[in-house]
Amino acid sequence: MSAGPYNYSYIFKYIIIGDMGVGKSCLLHQFTEKKFMADCPHTIGVEFGTRIIEVSGQKIKLQIWDTAGQERFRAVTRSYYRGAAGALMVYDITRRSTYNHLSSWLTDTRNLTNPSTVIFLIGNKCDLDAQRDVTYEEAKQFADENGLMFVEASAKTGENVEEAFLETAKKIYQSIQDGRLDLNAAESGVQHKPSQPGRNTLVNDQQVNKDTCAC
Amino acid sequence: MSVENKGICNADMPVHDTGTGNVLSRRLNKILETRIENDKETLEALKELSTFFTENTLQARRNLRSKIEKRSLVINEDFLSAFRDVKEVLDAIYSDVSEMNNSVQKMISRLQATKTQTHHLIDQTTKLQAESQTLSLQKEVAGAFLRSFQLSPAEQAVLRGSSRECAITDEFFTVLDRVQSIHSNGRMLMQSGHQTAALEIMEQMALYQEAALERLYRWTQSRCRNIESPETSILLSMAMSRLQGRPVLFRYVLDEYRTSRRSVLVTAFIDALTQGGPGGTPKPIEMHGHDPKRYVGDMLAWLHQAIPSEKDNLLILLKGCDKTDVSDQILQTLSHITEGVCHPLKVRVERMLAVDTDATVLYSVTNLVCFYKQVIGQVVPGSQLLTTLEELQELSQHTFLLALQSQVRQQLSECVETPPSDLSPSPGVSQLLNLLRDVLSVGCIAEGRQQDLPQIVSIIVEPLLQAINESATRLPTSDMAVYLLNCLYQMQSTLSLYEFVDELLERLQAQSDAQLDTLTSEQASSLVANLNLGSIYTILQEQGKGALSSVPGMEPTGLKNFLSKLDAFLVMQDVLLLPQICLLLSGTHRSIVQHRAFEVIAAIYRQLYEAVHDPENLYQNPGVLMPRSPDQVLKLLIG
Repeated sequence: MSAGPYNYSYIFKYIIIGDMGVGKSCLLHQFTEKKFMADCPHTIGVEFGTRIIEVSGQKIKLQIWDTAGQERFRAVTRSYYRGAAGALMVYDITRRSTYNHLSSWLTDTRNLTNPSTVIFLIGNKCDLDAQRDVTYEEAKQFADENGLMFVEASAKTGENVEEAFLETAKKIYQSIQDGRLDLNAAESGVQHKPSQPGRNTLVNDQQVNKDTCAC
Repeated sequence: MSVENKGICNADMPVHDTGTGNVLSRRLNKILETRIENDKETLEALKELSTFFTENTLQARRNLRSKIEKRSLVINEDFLSAFRDVKEVLDAIYSDVSEMNNSVQKMISRLQATKTQTHHLIDQTTKLQAESQTLSLQKEVAGAFLRSFQLSPAEQAVLRGSSRECAITDEFFTVLDRVQSIHSNGRMLMQSGHQTAALEIMEQMALYQEAALERLYRWTQSRCRNIESPETSILLSMAMSRLQGRPVLFRYVLDEYRTSRRSVLVTAFIDALTQGGPGGTPKPIEMHGHDPKRYVGDMLAWLHQAIPSEKDNLLILLKGCDKTDVSDQILQTLSHITEGVCHPLKVRVERMLAVDTDATVLYSVTNLVCFYKQVIGQVVPGSQLLTTLEELQELSQHTFLLALQSQVRQQLSECVETPPSDLSPSPGVSQLLNLLRDVLSVGCIAEGRQQDLPQIVSIIVEPLLQAINESATRLPTSDMAVYLLNCLYQMQSTLSLYEFVDELLERLQAQSDAQLDTLTSEQASSLVANLNLGSIYTILQEQGKGALSSVPGMEPTGLKNFLSKLDAFLVMQDVLLLPQICLLLSGTHRSIVQHRAFEVIAAIYRQLYEAVHDPENLYQNPGVLMPRSPDQVLKLLIG
């Protein structure tokens, strides 16, 4: 399987945004490494992670840009919205202030991305239910009002992390199928990529399935 | 014949009967007893006799015997002639058989001869057969040998390709691998003794390989730009894995690859700058040309994000290269690919920096460039792009510092001239400190602030200090000290919020201390003057021989004048304070000056107290004259 990392049909570009300390980097780490990073340092500017997933039989490489939540990096991180196919907007269910800032994050996202960019709202740290400060219903309503996809997840336990990234990819793939996303245009956040001929498909399928079940 | 003889005998019988009776009778009997009907021979003989004995006459009877004998003779003659024929025939048969025997004998001998002859032939045939078997086996072996050590015409055709532009296919690589394996098998062949053949084979394979690799190289070189097309990318990575054994060709392909990818990247960059995404979203980066931070940030972020894709492509191209460590190649190639964007980037940033821009904005830009220099330096260390970023950072830093200096100069000339009458810092001080605060409020996103910050601070603070000092010189001493202290205080309180400025803060503190000393001594002198302590203090210092109480001005009545003033002062300390002290902005400064000045008074009091209480000085009732102990006075003053 040495050729594994090179077998994919598309690259989707994601961006993860949200206040400082809501667990953006941990979500990414959980998704790419399937591990919880306990002492995650503050992100400096932007970090980068990838993973190959499968949607409707197509292998897709997710190129994920994890942004720093600190205000001083806003000037840097704002430039990374450009051409993102998916935006994961994260808040911390135990800190109301991070939820309250969502609308400003959303405004930024809407202003700086394509109309076709899929925005997914993630309420992180749902393992800390005892310290909950934002109810599921409230956030769900916010998501519905703004047409966002929504899930509560935990980077610590891994709950719903996989789902959030995969659902976003499914939605983007749907857009491609519907022709709403123009692949030929540069900076759509999606790139066509080389994939191996069909003979390898089966092997890869198995591998990906195994990947996806591992949570 | 016996029948005939019996018949004859019977015919004789009657003749003999008469001769001898007994014999006769016996014969008679015998005849009588004979049953003619039962004796076939007799019957036959008689029947035969009847055929020629037709007339029973004497004559006939007499002639019978001769007749019979004649007949017998005839018969015997007949026999004789018949047997002669038989004999003759038998003789003929005999000769025939003899002849046959002869010829058979001859045949046998001939057969024998032939057999001996044939035996030789068979031997030969067998030999030949064996030989033919060996030969066919050899042929098979040779065929197998050729199959495993030579290329079939079809394979050769695949290697050669029908034309120069003929596409490379999977098959090509299969054959190429076969050539390689034949070549290495040749080595084994050589070890097993077949040196000549092995050498020839290896030479031939080497030639094939050379030609094939040459062709592969041309193809790869012309196609390497198509790394993003799914069909060619697989073949390309296979091609590169085969070419890795030919460093020169490998190098050339990589050169071509990086040149073509470089132009692809430049085109994409220019597109992102001028055309933006599909339907104008995201907008072209140049739409933000008016906002330097956004403009520079977007350009650099775009580049930063383009690099992983280029790296992926390179990894795909080189994924089959396992013989050498390609990480160096990847790094070099990547840095070459990113070289192309250096110029457009540089031109744009330089143009933007050439426009007269606010120092704060320039500082943000410098920070951004510095940040990306660090980020990109991690991905493509040692690249031209990194050098460009370093140059841009330097330029931007330089521009920023120049802008800052000119901004400082302008504000200084406008606002820091005459100190206000309340000796508070002039508006220019606040303005410059605000500028400092603005600049430093730019989110620091890059490392190296430690060097930046003192420089920025000194660019603002040094001229400011100078200007303040200059304007302060026009004031009287106390006013000057208060004004300077106020300005320094404001600067200190602004700067204390930042790291890395300890040295400057120390300097400011030293200047403050000097001013505090000045002010303290002013205050102390004014107190001494107001309390009429001046002469007393001088006398105490100059004290020589003799009792102090007899020195003019030191007699108890003279001291009382001072002591009553002191009493009033102890109750109402503020009355004797310099008015400027109240203008000090810092409460700490105020209390320090007051404190120290009062300490001076207390110290003089202590000296006087000790002198008065010294019996040598001959004061009467010193306890009545100076009832307060120095500690009490100190406590009252400073408390």
